[in-house]
Amino acid sequence: MNNALIISGLTKTYKDFVLDNVSFSVPSGSIVGLIGENGAGKSTTINAVLGLIQKEDGYVSVFGKDGLDNETKEQIGAVFDGSNYPEILSPRKINRIMKNIYGSWDEQAYFRLLKQFSLPLDKQIKQFSKGMKMKLAISVALSHHSKLLILDEATSGLDPVIRDDILDMLLDFVQDEEHSILVSSHITSDLEKIADYIVFIHEGKVVFSKPKDELIEQYGVIKCGAAQFDALDKSDIITYRKMDYEWQILVSERDKMQKKYPKALIVPATIDEIMLLYVKGER
Amino acid sequence: MMKGVLLKDFYIAKSNILVTIVSLIVLGFGLSFLLETSALLILAPVASTTAAFISITSDAGSKWNKNVIAMPVSRNQIISEKFIFYILLAAAGLMTALIPCIVLMLAGADITVHSLCLYAAIGMSATLLAGGISLPCAYLFDPEKSQVVFMMSFMASTGIIVGLVLLTNLFIPVKNNILLAFNIVLVISGVCFFISYRIAAAVYQNRDIV
Repeated sequence: MNNALIISGLTKTYKDFVLDNVSFSVPSGSIVGLIGENGAGKSTTINAVLGLIQKEDGYVSVFGKDGLDNETKEQIGAVFDGSNYPEILSPRKINRIMKNIYGSWDEQAYFRLLKQFSLPLDKQIKQFSKGMKMKLAISVALSHHSKLLILDEATSGLDPVIRDDILDMLLDFVQDEEHSILVSSHITSDLEKIADYIVFIHEGKVVFSKPKDELIEQYGVIKCGAAQFDALDKSDIITYRKMDYEWQILVSERDKMQKKYPKALIVPATIDEIMLLYVKGER
Repeated sequence: MMKGVLLKDFYIAKSNILVTIVSLIVLGFGLSFLLETSALLILAPVASTTAAFISITSDAGSKWNKNVIAMPVSRNQIISEKFIFYILLAAAGLMTALIPCIVLMLAGADITVHSLCLYAAIGMSATLLAGGISLPCAYLFDPEKSQVVFMMSFMASTGIIVGLVLLTNLFIPVKNNILLAFNIVLVISGVCFFISYRIAAAVYQNRDIV
């Protein structure tokens, strides 16, 4: 399988934060969800991929090319949290601007998307709601025949209806096997819906990078009391958390664990629970 | 590619054009009473370039800076565009001020081609020097600090022009060759502006945009 994006050994040091040797890839035709708590390093990773920040070490390869030249950037659609367009502009003016920036700008596709999202052509962006701004940014990202979409917290702060519209649009986009998406979000339920792979970043490091189905089908949470917890083989535990009335233990092979501990209550783990147990649990 | 970014800045300038035109008219009237009307040529280019700083502030405020780097536009092109935009605004300001001056001159007012050229040279020198100081600073400091630098740069450019004229006077008597002296100042200002562009481009090349 070809990779649209390969990140290897990406490192960036700030005064109080280190993005440490981050490596993962985005296979063509797939959606990769980047999860992690606020400040975990998701945006730093995306900023390094898009060339917004200078990396100290590692390499980023997009469509098999090291570094980002204008030709490669032509094939990338980036959407950040917010519209990131001057507020005095209108969608029509943005069309004229983009026509002169992207060689492959597709005016018809842009107007079609604006219509689909019910966005007014001549209204200034400052009069747009957050959801409208986000829809506009996505319309731009999808109107220059981009093959790789990179979305940084693009659905945060949006209501569930708009988020659902956007997620549907992203699913449509990857119907073409040449198209891929890297999407960062702390709304893990969105990623559960659309992602093929989940990359979990915690304190600047990749904790895991796995197919979503593997996480959903194989990971489990054992909910038990202290005695049952003490009886568990500690090598089976990825991480655990002591709650008020129970212990929550994250395990990676749910079915195997169920056979090993037939009396244990093992429930499938959601991505939210996996993330929470990794971040707040003990090892 | 750069054309699109330039177009975006023209839309921003257009939204502020009323403020620029009103300030130029007020300045023109004020100057026609105090000095010669042609002295408007000193202030017009400088006043017109405020739109460049409005666009820089708007870029930072809307996070366009971040957006544009993800587009097929190089960092060098982003800086080049801003310097070109600045020059175009200055030239547009100069032309706007030149029209009433020429009309008045043709109508018999006491305006000479010599004074027009002299004031235009002073105006453009001040604008190029001020831009040469403030434009790279806009990419070095945060928007609030760069606004302060922007205001200070006009004062600094006046001081630099006086210094350059005094320096020229060591080689050419300025009193007898005033237009030549200010044309030399204009050339030096142009060189400074170009050097400033190279510095800004180099600084921006490795700057983290977040």
